[in-house]
Amino acid sequence: MNEVCFKNLDKENPASFATYEANGGYKVWRKILNGELTPDEIISELKTSGLRGRGGAGFPTGLKWSFMPRNQEGQKYVVCNSDEGEPGTCHDRDILRYNPHSVIEGMAIAGFVMNATVGYNYIRGEFMEPYYRFEEALKDAYKAGLLGKNIQDSAISYDLYTHLGAGAYICGEETALLESLEGKKGQPRFKPPFPANVGLFGKPTTINNTETFASVPEILSRGGQWFADLGVENSGGTKCFSVTGNVKNPSNFEVPMGTPFSKLLELAGGLKEGRKLKAVIPGGSSTPLLPAETAMNMTMDYDSIATAGSMLGAGSVIVMDDTTCMVKTLTRLAHFYYDESCGQCTPCREGTGWLYRMLQRIIDGNGQEEDLDLLLSVGEKIMGNTICALGDAAATPVESFIKHFREEFEYYIQNGKSMVEEQHNLIEEAASV
Amino acid sequence: MSEIEIEIDGHLVKASQGDSIISIADREGIDVPRFCYHKKLSVAANCRMCLVDIEGVPKAQPACSTPAANGMKINTKNDKAKFAQKAVMEFLLINHPLDCPICDQGGECELQDVAMEYGSDVSKFNLGKRIVPDKGIGALIQTDMTRCIHCTRCVRFGAEVAGIVEMGGTGRGEGVKIEPFLTEGIQSELSGNMIDVCPVGALTSKPFRYEARTWQMNAVQSVARHDLVGSNIYTQSYRGKVKRVVARDNDSINETWISDRDRFSYEGLNHESRALKPKIKVDGEWQETDWQQALQFAVDGIKNNAINPDQLGVLASKHASLEEFYLMQKLARKFGSENIDFRLDQTQLSTGSSLESSINLSEIESVDHALIIGSYTRLEQPMINHRIRKATLDGASVNTMNSKNFDFNFKTKCDALTAPQKLLSALQSVLKAVHLKTNQDTPNDVSDVTPSEIHNIIADDLIASANGVIVLGEHLNSNPNSLAIINLIEKIASATNLKIANITISGNSHSAEKVNFIPSGNGLNAISMFNDNTKAFLLMDVDSEYDFIDSKSAQGHFSKEDVFVVALSSFENQSTLRSADVILPMASFYESSGTHINFDGLVQSYSASVKSPGESKPGWKIIKVMADLLDLQGLDYVDSTQVKEEALQSSKVKSSVDEANIQSIDDSQVTTHWQYAPYASDSVTRRAKALQESNVGMINRAYVSKMTAHKIGLSDDDLYLGVPVSIEESVAVDCVFIHTNQARRA
Repeated sequence: MNEVCFKNLDKENPASFATYEANGGYKVWRKILNGELTPDEIISELKTSGLRGRGGAGFPTGLKWSFMPRNQEGQKYVVCNSDEGEPGTCHDRDILRYNPHSVIEGMAIAGFVMNATVGYNYIRGEFMEPYYRFEEALKDAYKAGLLGKNIQDSAISYDLYTHLGAGAYICGEETALLESLEGKKGQPRFKPPFPANVGLFGKPTTINNTETFASVPEILSRGGQWFADLGVENSGGTKCFSVTGNVKNPSNFEVPMGTPFSKLLELAGGLKEGRKLKAVIPGGSSTPLLPAETAMNMTMDYDSIATAGSMLGAGSVIVMDDTTCMVKTLTRLAHFYYDESCGQCTPCREGTGWLYRMLQRIIDGNGQEEDLDLLLSVGEKIMGNTICALGDAAATPVESFIKHFREEFEYYIQNGKSMVEEQHNLIEEAASV
Repeated sequence: MSEIEIEIDGHLVKASQGDSIISIADREGIDVPRFCYHKKLSVAANCRMCLVDIEGVPKAQPACSTPAANGMKINTKNDKAKFAQKAVMEFLLINHPLDCPICDQGGECELQDVAMEYGSDVSKFNLGKRIVPDKGIGALIQTDMTRCIHCTRCVRFGAEVAGIVEMGGTGRGEGVKIEPFLTEGIQSELSGNMIDVCPVGALTSKPFRYEARTWQMNAVQSVARHDLVGSNIYTQSYRGKVKRVVARDNDSINETWISDRDRFSYEGLNHESRALKPKIKVDGEWQETDWQQALQFAVDGIKNNAINPDQLGVLASKHASLEEFYLMQKLARKFGSENIDFRLDQTQLSTGSSLESSINLSEIESVDHALIIGSYTRLEQPMINHRIRKATLDGASVNTMNSKNFDFNFKTKCDALTAPQKLLSALQSVLKAVHLKTNQDTPNDVSDVTPSEIHNIIADDLIASANGVIVLGEHLNSNPNSLAIINLIEKIASATNLKIANITISGNSHSAEKVNFIPSGNGLNAISMFNDNTKAFLLMDVDSEYDFIDSKSAQGHFSKEDVFVVALSSFENQSTLRSADVILPMASFYESSGTHINFDGLVQSYSASVKSPGESKPGWKIIKVMADLLDLQGLDYVDSTQVKEEALQSSKVKSSVDEANIQSIDDSQVTTHWQYAPYASDSVTRRAKALQESNVGMINRAYVSKMTAHKIGLSDDDLYLGVPVSIEESVAVDCVFIHTNQARRA
């Protein structure tokens, strides 16, 4: 556990430059500055490692880096997506707080590979503490002469800037992030063209997630194969999971890919006394919900979760026990997406509000028989028809919640109240008598 | 671009790599529904209406933003495509008010049309609809933003074409509002195009509001006459009145845009001051009469006052048609008078036609450099300015020599503020700099000039330009040395190999020049005509209060007891009522057939869109009958086509280069430059209510620099010649630049 991104967590002052350096930090970057590593070697090592984008899509990082036209003339950029906003996710926040130098080193390495001399770390607007920590680390890295122009006479230049967002979930979508970084309204761009060709300020840009960048130095330092062997086939290395919800000890855990879900649940202290597992959202609120039994049989890696019917996503595991009302939970999620839709394209702008209002109406006791089918139909019409994935993210939970817990929704519509809460109240009443 | 082959709805089609699917579909006549896509705007892909199925791609893809690739199999109508399209349609309609019965867009609404095919009969949406408050964006555009479908065409139009970002999307999610950031109303001179690009009834024409249903109107192809471009338009009329003007596509002229002046000026046609009946002035009193009597009165008056034929003066506004110019000059010349002119607003008049432009409209957008001398192109010639702006978007640089720094919709590189009285010496300085830098022989007239720093910069840019243009604008017209200035510009252009775009003349001036509507031989021009010998005048569409460079002396002359004035006019101006003896009511724009010759020399004819009101008659017919009554031969035409054919046989008289006499001026004196705002340009526009109430229409300011203000004792908001003063540093020293909709007082 905690072998890559959180490896210094148990050390004193884990975020400091000294701690990072004392534990092998900047070793790779210094090698690069000494001319001992080539971009091709780095890419090949990353491909061996099986590292996949940790932001949610899981695209192989080595492949992504190899797409960049590194020999194209003109400015190129490296951007780190630290706009961690997925409900249930907070591990990037802890990477920035406890291991900021790994992100800096990872981004610098990416800059070298991509032949980009400028990088930006876009940090979520609410992350004040991580922002200051990262800024502090950045200063130390500059002070140590590891960043800047013509670093240590290596002819390599790399300047890194921090940018604080302004509180929009959508800016976690990489092209909306680029727009925001350019000073525009955060709205996703249509693709193609992809950022690798037309990215920040119209220049080729590589965007990766915080955890991805943070994993890179350790991979290059200990070898791609070492990293790959930590995990399972198709899912190399370790992954940081944020386990939240009805567990005793909600927290971040960096565990090898392929760790059984049950093990992760155990790490989080298990469920509260007398509660039963009801359902799990394994990868953040945008990924489909899985019923208890399915979840208990899966392992935490890309393939197993996909087989179970969901996605690893950003590794935000939301655990729900038998006191959770699925109608209310879905309504809350629907409100989130309705509130965070950028409003640019039609299905999401109009559809998220429709979904949320129908659900709210059910909660208000005014649900109608046909609402469930209509909810599914609206979700289906949003799905796949939008510019970015927010539309899909809004529609996904609607589909999975109703699929697995349809009777709860029907009960709410027919009775104007929550089935779960009613049962739970009865139990509590019985207990108190 | 390499050629590729794709399959679209079962047809094998050749295309270029990178073509969007929608452009290929459009070319092939395959109908793909869309709202946000517009061929002249950037791709937004936000409406999602054009989703199509591409074989092998799991999700439906937008046809507008997806480039075609070789071997692609596209289906625009299979179940998957239809499902996506119908889904989007449903979403678009849930919050749309569907108030088609009271919406002006009804009948020409893209949402309505597409909903017929892709919408459902019954809405499944049973929640409250969104309501969006309207901010109000000025006199020209009516907003009903509850109808908005957020396609952002208007936003993109502002940013990309008009060059002024006025509309934007504020807020997010369901709360996104398309609205202006400011509340003072739209400033763009091209704003009306937002109405055309709006696919729904969110932006409609304000003057047209509730005037007619779109399907009731009669659309006629016509040509706009306010500027040199001759933009292609449709006039739309209902019950004999023009109710609306919209753009007609013509890529080599106006693309798909028209200026607000071309779009909204029609309102002036229905103005209360229209001349509807012939009138004669008997013993100082106006009497209505019939055509026969009025014409006889006019002819008698001319005969009695112009005892010698050279006592007749014939003047027309620059907005008359080719046919009218031709018949007027023919009448005058048959009568025996060479006193003919249309150049009413110029201080110095040449003996020939104006300097020829050496560039086409569509070529302007590919210049690498432009030097603008004496023009606020954006307001004066909006569509020519639009081409210059396009050139700047491709990297062209623009320098200016104006008496004020104007608010262009592109960045200028170097602005050499030059007061009118100093323009001649400034251009001498530029010419000298050009000669010094290119080692050319220096002509005598600039031998002892030392170029200043800014003129060196201007010269450098001219020399460096491989494909540039010098634009000379209408501000030169009031310059006492305009001819010498134009000669100098010609020399600069030839020394630097630049092209010339002459926009000093406007309206239909090219028609006037084509038929020699200027004096020849001993004839008198629009300035020298006002002497004691000229006793009778025939005026066409002339408003002596506005149109003359020296309106005081013109009006004074017309009012003399022994001067007889026949006014062919569409309006009963106060000035006409004062100075004329007969008013012959004339058809106005869109009320008679005619011909316009534009900047490119393109001859464009149009037919009448509506019948002229009251007893008014087309100008060419009135002149024909007058010629008849004056016993003049050779004007018995059957129709206006015959006139046009004959008129086009004429050839212009070239101006001789050396005629410029340099007027010596004391250039330390403060000069007043009176420049009309664009909506004071002609008699119809001046009466177009909404235009006059728009931001551009209300322009009325005297701009003066701090130093000059001090010199002549002006402070902010004082009245100077009746115009409120603004002290700004963007004005040349020793110059008061008056930009106004008011009649000339200086």
